Amino acid sequence: MTVVHLQYYAQLREQAGKSGEQVVTSAASLRDLYDELRASRGFSLAADVLKVAVNTEFSTWDRPLRDGDTVVFIPPVAGG
Amino acid sequence: MSRFELSSAAVDLAEQRERLRHASSGGFCAFEGWVRNSNEGREVDGLSYEAYAELALAEGERIVAEAIARYGVTDARCVHRTGDLAIGDMAVWVGASAPHRDEAFRACRYIIDEIKHRLPIWKKEHYVTGESDWVACTHVYREHEHEGHHHHHHHHHAHAEPFVPDYSRQVRLREVGEAGQAKLAASRVLVIGAGGLGCPVISYLAGAGVGTLGIVDGDRLDASNLHRQTMYDARDVGEYKAELASRRVAALNPAVQVQLWKEPLDAGNVLDVFRQFDLVVECTDDMRSRYLSSDAAVLTGTPLILASIYQYEGQLQFVAARPGSPCLRCLWPQEPAPETVGSCTLAGVLGPVPGVLGAMQATEALKFLLGMPQPNAGALSLVNLIDLSIQHLPIDAAHGCAEQGGCVEVARRAMARAVEEDEVDLAFDRLEDAVAAGFQLVDVREMEELASDPMPVAAVHVPSARVGERAGEFAEGRYLLVCASGRRSAHAARLLRGEGVRGAYSLVGGLNALRIAG
Repeated sequence: MTVVHLQYYAQLREQAGKSGEQVVTSAASLRDLYDELRASRGFSLAADVLKVAVNTEFSTWDRPLRDGDTVVFIPPVAGG
Repeated sequence: MSRFELSSAAVDLAEQRERLRHASSGGFCAFEGWVRNSNEGREVDGLSYEAYAELALAEGERIVAEAIARYGVTDARCVHRTGDLAIGDMAVWVGASAPHRDEAFRACRYIIDEIKHRLPIWKKEHYVTGESDWVACTHVYREHEHEGHHHHHHHHHAHAEPFVPDYSRQVRLREVGEAGQAKLAASRVLVIGAGGLGCPVISYLAGAGVGTLGIVDGDRLDASNLHRQTMYDARDVGEYKAELASRRVAALNPAVQVQLWKEPLDAGNVLDVFRQFDLVVECTDDMRSRYLSSDAAVLTGTPLILASIYQYEGQLQFVAARPGSPCLRCLWPQEPAPETVGSCTLAGVLGPVPGVLGAMQATEALKFLLGMPQPNAGALSLVNLIDLSIQHLPIDAAHGCAEQGGCVEVARRAMARAVEEDEVDLAFDRLEDAVAAGFQLVDVREMEELASDPMPVAAVHVPSARVGERAGEFAEGRYLLVCASGRRSAHAARLLRGEGVRGAYSLVGGLNALRIAG
């Protein structure tokens, strides 16, 4: 199991009802983690329309998770 | 064209009124002066007007022009009779048409008051006793002399003395100085969108003395904009934001040259427009516009400052538009569907949030124009106004468009696609016209929008998110997709075209564009 810190932006924050949380996960990669969260948090956006960053660097979705990672999911937003 | 006439014949009311009809006028107001049967206790049975015609025409023209400038009405006219008139005849007619009634009333009142006060026209009254008398001009109460200081300042075009901008507070900065100020004066910046982000951007760049500002906005001001769009006030509702913004710039800093576009840019003109500017600031709430701007920036080598907001957050990205620097598509390669990205209308927004992001765009713009360092320019900056944090995520250009042939190649393909896709956009003044032209209407809005704002004519209802899966239903015939703003319908129509549906079109501007301002 891996312990990671999550930060949510925009629609994801709204749908999760919080800006961030710490989760314990068995997911092997960022993509598995997001799919897990999508089911449990009811996120409407598919992973392919999001960007993901780990420890303040953009990352690919196949990156393995490590203990203590800070993961940020970023949807594009259009308001102005 | 003359707006003031002297006439020896009766005034043709229908003709005068018709000449004040303009698409931008939401109302018309007229004043008629009639010959009455008594004056200061003496019974009158007619009168004659004599005018010093040359002077009266020139002065009358001036008065009408003053009223138009002073109250910002669309148009105004006045006709004054000369010769013999009987009781009940019309002696003078004044009309004004304007976006809103208040200006029309005020302009009318101004014209008649000034006419009576200033025009070299003399009135000879004929009394029932058989006598007659020239009547002296008496002092007229002029309402506008008593208007308070709260009056609509931005409609005053005349300045008593030429205004000289004072940039001393920014010139004092070591990074600006006289040389920096000269750079700003020589700069040309295009601001796309004069809304929540655009208001601070336009205000700050105009105030800073940027030489030329281009302003693009196809929308008219709505009352729901006022909590975040700080350049406008309640009286402006219904007017084009591009026009309001350019008036605001003229009032704030007359030294700034303004060019305005009252239609959104499209694939057909965006490259030519971008080439006229040194920097573009993208301030729309429209994902399609941001992608078009990113592609145009890359293809023309024009730097671009992108920002967008969602509720209490914002994103900021500087696209340097140089080889090796990332663009918007390096982050999110494809334009997402409008339903997925949220909007101020559907998701809500706190007024100052676009203010903060717009102020950041303006700061980045000035730093760029002044040649100052922009250490985080290559990053996506996430601004969170709940916890007041800013997170900078550096964008690795090697993992973006580079894998698809590079930003320029990606942008070129996208631009070619956009040119084709623009064919789906159709403009109609009334939905009835579309029906008459053989279109089947498809309302792609959500159920709750239909309930609060029903379609004025019969339409099939298919929510935009479900249009793709029901493409088979649109195989035959021509369909005009309609939503509130024209964005979801355009995206859905393009999606249908992608599915091989040839007859899919979208109503430009949506239902909002059909509403007559008033």
